[in-house]
Amino acid sequence: MPDASNGGPGETHVVLRRARTHPSDSWTLERVLEDGGYETAKSVIANMSPEDTVELVKESGLRGRGGAGFPTGVKWSFIPKDVFPRYVVVNHDEGEPGTFKDREIAERDPHQMLEGIAIAAWACQANKAFIYCRGEFSLGSRRLDRAIAEAYERGFLGTGIFGSDFDLDIILHRGAGAYICGEESALLDSLEGYRGQPRLRPPFPAIKGLYGQPTVINNTETLSTLPALLANGADWFKQWGTEKSPGTKVFSVSGHINKPGNYEIPLGTSLADLLALGGGMRAGAELKAIIPGGASAPLLTSTDVAMDFEALKDAGTMLGSGAVVFMDESTCMVRNALVTTEFFEHESCGKCTPCREGTWWAVKVLERIEHGLGRDEDMDLLLDIADGIDGRSFCPLGDAAAWALRSNVKLFREEFEQHVVDGRCPFDHEGTELVGAGRGVGLGAAGVSPQPSAGIDVDRESDDVDGSSG
Amino acid sequence: MRVLDDDMRSDIDGIVAKYPNARSAALPLLFLVQSVEGYVSEDGMKDVADILGLTSAQVLATASFYTMLKKRPQGEYLISVCRNITCTHLGARKVLDTLEDRLGVAAGDTTDDGRFSLEAAECLATCEGAPSLQINYEDFYRVTPEDAIALVDKLAAGDSVLSVRGDTVKTAKEIAREIAVAGMRTPEAGVEQGRTVGGESPRADTAPGTRPKVEGEKQDA
Repeated sequence: MPDASNGGPGETHVVLRRARTHPSDSWTLERVLEDGGYETAKSVIANMSPEDTVELVKESGLRGRGGAGFPTGVKWSFIPKDVFPRYVVVNHDEGEPGTFKDREIAERDPHQMLEGIAIAAWACQANKAFIYCRGEFSLGSRRLDRAIAEAYERGFLGTGIFGSDFDLDIILHRGAGAYICGEESALLDSLEGYRGQPRLRPPFPAIKGLYGQPTVINNTETLSTLPALLANGADWFKQWGTEKSPGTKVFSVSGHINKPGNYEIPLGTSLADLLALGGGMRAGAELKAIIPGGASAPLLTSTDVAMDFEALKDAGTMLGSGAVVFMDESTCMVRNALVTTEFFEHESCGKCTPCREGTWWAVKVLERIEHGLGRDEDMDLLLDIADGIDGRSFCPLGDAAAWALRSNVKLFREEFEQHVVDGRCPFDHEGTELVGAGRGVGLGAAGVSPQPSAGIDVDRESDDVDGSSG
Repeated sequence: MRVLDDDMRSDIDGIVAKYPNARSAALPLLFLVQSVEGYVSEDGMKDVADILGLTSAQVLATASFYTMLKKRPQGEYLISVCRNITCTHLGARKVLDTLEDRLGVAAGDTTDDGRFSLEAAECLATCEGAPSLQINYEDFYRVTPEDAIALVDKLAAGDSVLSVRGDTVKTAKEIAREIAVAGMRTPEAGVEQGRTVGGESPRADTAPGTRPKVEGEKQDA
């Protein structure tokens, strides 16, 4: 099979290769077969032992692309010997704000994903795999459903796949709207028909996962990397990236930029280059803040950083899911903190008090600051709330809420203070009422009233967004 | 009154048969209830409990956790406006306000005639098209307030509406059934359910100014 394609200046397409070289039909079986699809999985099952498959993935240094960055081969090797059945579960419940890569990867190349699942299932000797597909992903689900049916018809799935004696069923399962189900143990509870709340670990899913059996949970992008990786080998994969963050990664780039979209680049590429791929900041706009790895990641204010797991950690933030949001000078950071914290408040599963109550109170305080009723002590109060959540809940959702809140307040404290001193938001937001949308928590309940506001140009046709920052 | 009655036996059996453990069928069966009732009714939850050998309370405990499973009667078209980071910074709140005015309901409510429900949604993984919204879980990109009103007008007039990916917007009950039977492997379900009408999902950089497709757009079969 072909290896990577040079996707134009700065891009290197491994996962997105077929999607970008055949944009009109990359998801069809005809194109996939013509393009060498499924040959790698067939060859792996025929010629490699499961142990060698695990070793190759370990050797490649591939790290999970869902957010945590855990080495994939190592994760597989935790499966206890002699305990059957085992399961592979695909985390296709993408929902980290800013992230839209898995959606596109599955929509554009569902067969690559299925081939990756087959390789993972072979490595882990699992005869059943479940795709937990986000409920809101209509086109992706249709294409996966069709691809699965086609793969069964061709003998790529079912009994004795590719003519081997290895059986594999893939079951498509739709979620029903809950961000927390992207957390792997919550996902398992949801897949079992319960509320999607995280489980206490240990035991880890590799030991006791789905239905109490050994289970490997991998992200869509991770699995979609496997066909090219197994076809070309660990050294090929390691030609890109850094020693500890090898390979390429798909970044979802959005915000106040000219060309939002998914871009696949070698890990370790500079954030400045990624911004250039995204077409740069929109006309006349100055960069103000960057979310480098999804809403959970603390903010950056400079593009002078390499996009890999270690460099971002050293910069006090994280690579996360690879969602990069660029914000310009028109962005009110109180509002940014409020939107972000509202998200975590809404998606907190309610299991742990620090997360459930802390995010709720933080929203209340942020609302009053944004609406001109903030108090001098509110900034310290927000930091105190963040400290009260961080490290004190079951799963990383609470931590993420705390990190995001803390970084907004610490990096832009003067802006928060200006809201309090002025008694109003210094930014103009016409018709952009924030409080309680859709949750029955209106202005009355919050005990504050809206500020008078003037217009902000949101016409997409206009390049002349003045970026007025009041 | 039975919601999941014998006429639906093949769907019910097909859904339950997907899983090694029947309880895993809870979410798809609840979507099946929603495809009949328009929401997850008490009668429907009782049926799901009977099928899975659970109590109604256990089924309610699961159903109440998920935002796509509606606890109250819903409109024929559910409009979900993303309220998250990128969309808010690019004008989503104005779109939501405009829709509240046009429909005469607050986010979270349904119009009196039962045609439309409006909600503020969390990140829909469509930030490349911000501000974005979904209508019955089909995507629309770079939606201006004017676009949003045009979409509602089309649907209100009974016209067919295509998403940014070229898929026809279904009714709420139709999409609930599609979700319920996704992945069901019956002789006709496989290819039929997996049938994809969508052509391109345009990348933002190759399709600047992409608008919600309202009518007369190309539709690949």
